[in-house]
Amino acid sequence: MDFQTRIENKATVVTINGRLDAVTAPEFEKRIRELIDSGNIYIVVDFEQLDYISSAGLRGLLLMAKLLKEKGGDVCLANVKGNVRSVFDICGLTTIFKMENSVAEALVTLA
Amino acid sequence: MLEYPSGGTIYIDGIDILDKKTDPAKIRQKMNMVFQSFNLFSHLSVLENLTLAPIKINGMSKEAAQLKSMELLRLVGLAEKADKFPDELSGGQQQRVAIARCMAMDPKIILFDEPTSALDPTMVSEVLSVIRRLAREGMTMAIVTHEMDFARDVSNRVLYMDEGIIYEEGPPEQIFENPQKEMTRAFIQRIRSYTCRISSPDYDLYAMNAEIEAFCEKQILPKKTRDSLLLLVEELLQIYTPYLPTTVLDLTIAYSEKSERLKVVCESYGEAVNPFDSDNLADDDFGMAIIKSLTESIEYLWINGKNKLQFLFKI
Repeated sequence: MDFQTRIENKATVVTINGRLDAVTAPEFEKRIRELIDSGNIYIVVDFEQLDYISSAGLRGLLLMAKLLKEKGGDVCLANVKGNVRSVFDICGLTTIFKMENSVAEALVTLA
Repeated sequence: MLEYPSGGTIYIDGIDILDKKTDPAKIRQKMNMVFQSFNLFSHLSVLENLTLAPIKINGMSKEAAQLKSMELLRLVGLAEKADKFPDELSGGQQQRVAIARCMAMDPKIILFDEPTSALDPTMVSEVLSVIRRLAREGMTMAIVTHEMDFARDVSNRVLYMDEGIIYEEGPPEQIFENPQKEMTRAFIQRIRSYTCRISSPDYDLYAMNAEIEAFCEKQILPKKTRDSLLLLVEELLQIYTPYLPTTVLDLTIAYSEKSERLKVVCESYGEAVNPFDSDNLADDDFGMAIIKSLTESIEYLWINGKNKLQFLFKI
């Protein structure tokens, strides 16, 4: 998994690519904790280049949402498609996370 | 005897052929054999191949032997080839001549040693139809074959042999519809499988994924199936992870070419415990939800000191 960040419209856009699974989820959680601890509490996660997610990845995302809620922040997911979207559907998470079809729309949702 | 059996017994009409008092040559007169590679006499015509033994061994007159041989050649559809030499015939025709040559000695039993395995696929059916006809007419035959549909239609007793033993035997309905043993099932259903042993919570998921992908590629499974299978395996391993410090898990992916179904089997040793009991699962049920969505059925069994969980994959 590759994890990159950039600031756009006062929010942090996190781009992850590859796989978010039992192997990569701990690293994802670590990087997210560091981001939130350093004051980045409005986060867009761009799934455009994510090919695969498992329940371990979903738990990492839920942890992120929980940490942001504690700090009064928010998260929006962008470009959740295909197989990855199916896993969200199966686990009933499409109603729990804010989701948009693009990063630009996600930034508007968080504004 | 060409080969002396290392074990077991063989009875022909109630006579133990391994008994020292038995005369194998006398028993052999009741039998004849069709070989995998025909074994016709290449310097003799088709008719001469058939008449040789009846004249030399049974003392039949040339005329009577020829008359009978022509009848047999008609039976296998080759009367017009009587004057040809084996080299002038196709493989399927040569094998039909070999069957007719067998019949010329009026055997009570015919042994067939993979009678179609040396043939071009287009010629298999002509030989099988001759054998089917003999079966209908009541000829006793012991046939070694890999032609499963044929074996199922023509036989009234099937012996599945593996590693030098009769592994399973029974009527064709049992062997083909409801085989009792695992290797018979694997053979009949043309099951291809991949097994991985996991003995530590620090298993290498990516190495396993690569092997599963290679297995799927070999079976020409679509990418969507492969991706879903990888997800199923990861979720299963997540559920098994708490048990891995104290148990060994054998994970098998079995694909039946016949039914085009995929099954994942998890076998773990130790005390009887079903990791899928709700008391043993993580607080959230994401893993279970994913597994249920990817499978048609989940079955837990405790057999021979092993926990066995079987998942029938949705395709």
